Amino acid sequence: MNENLFASFITPMMFGLPLVTLIVLFPSLLFPTSNRLINNRLISLQQWMLQLVSKQMMSIHNTKGQTWALMLMSLILFIGSTNLLGLLPHSFTPTTQLSMNLGMAIPLWAGAVITGFRNKTKASLAHFLPQGTPTPLIPMLVIIETISLFIQPVALAVRLTANITAGHLLIHLIGGATLALMSINTTTALITFIILILLTVLEFAVAMIQAYVFTLLVSLYLHDNT
Amino acid sequence: MPQLDTSTWLTMILSMFLVLFIIFQLKISKHNFYHNPELMTTKTPKQNTPWETKWTKIYLPLSLPL
Repeated sequence: MNENLFASFITPMMFGLPLVTLIVLFPSLLFPTSNRLINNRLISLQQWMLQLVSKQMMSIHNTKGQTWALMLMSLILFIGSTNLLGLLPHSFTPTTQLSMNLGMAIPLWAGAVITGFRNKTKASLAHFLPQGTPTPLIPMLVIIETISLFIQPVALAVRLTANITAGHLLIHLIGGATLALMSINTTTALITFIILILLTVLEFAVAMIQAYVFTLLVSLYLHDNT
Repeated sequence: MPQLDTSTWLTMILSMFLVLFIIFQLKISKHNFYHNPELMTTKTPKQNTPWETKWTKIYLPLSLPL
């Protein structure tokens, strides 16, 4: 059962060819490029949504932070669309791969921290010591703040991986349980089916929320450092 | 756990770099967010010439009595 359960998280490769690149590329096909002055409905809708999200998310930043708008918007679109596509049956969700999430989290976090270090060295170092700490606590607190800083990218990556993986695993398990129960006791199977439906609705929400949280946190780290 | 099999990590990270940093950003950068149309003044703007006016009488075609 363990073998079957985790089978959907193996990176798809076909005879050594990376099929996974095509899978990661697929969500970008769902966002057509805007070529005309007045675009078709789909592109206009996506553009409106993009403007809404970017206004909401980039309004807290100053001019320097707003140069990251393109990066953050493509990040939220990428994670959101990948997570939502992963809810289709038998699909592979790239965001369940720790490798990819680490590859997203570490460069973005490092970029924000190094920008802060280069441009506002004193202010970014001041983050290590909250205001108004009593003097004997200072060494310990600096150590704790350093650890909390370095754990940020790992937490970003593992949060996304664990949430999406756990959701997919739950759907697998409860779906399997419903199927097994159908021949034994139909009422229990019905209850389990309702649980499955509720879970799927939750997963839709989680898919989008995780994208949002990831982007929000990167934006927060950026705000601290610009 | 198959996510911890590091043999595929390079492929995943490279394809993610390609999609996230290049393809998505190229697509989104092409979106044009236009300003709303605004009223324009109907008066013609005054010609701004740094030379003396009596020199440029023949060089300002719009001010000629034609």
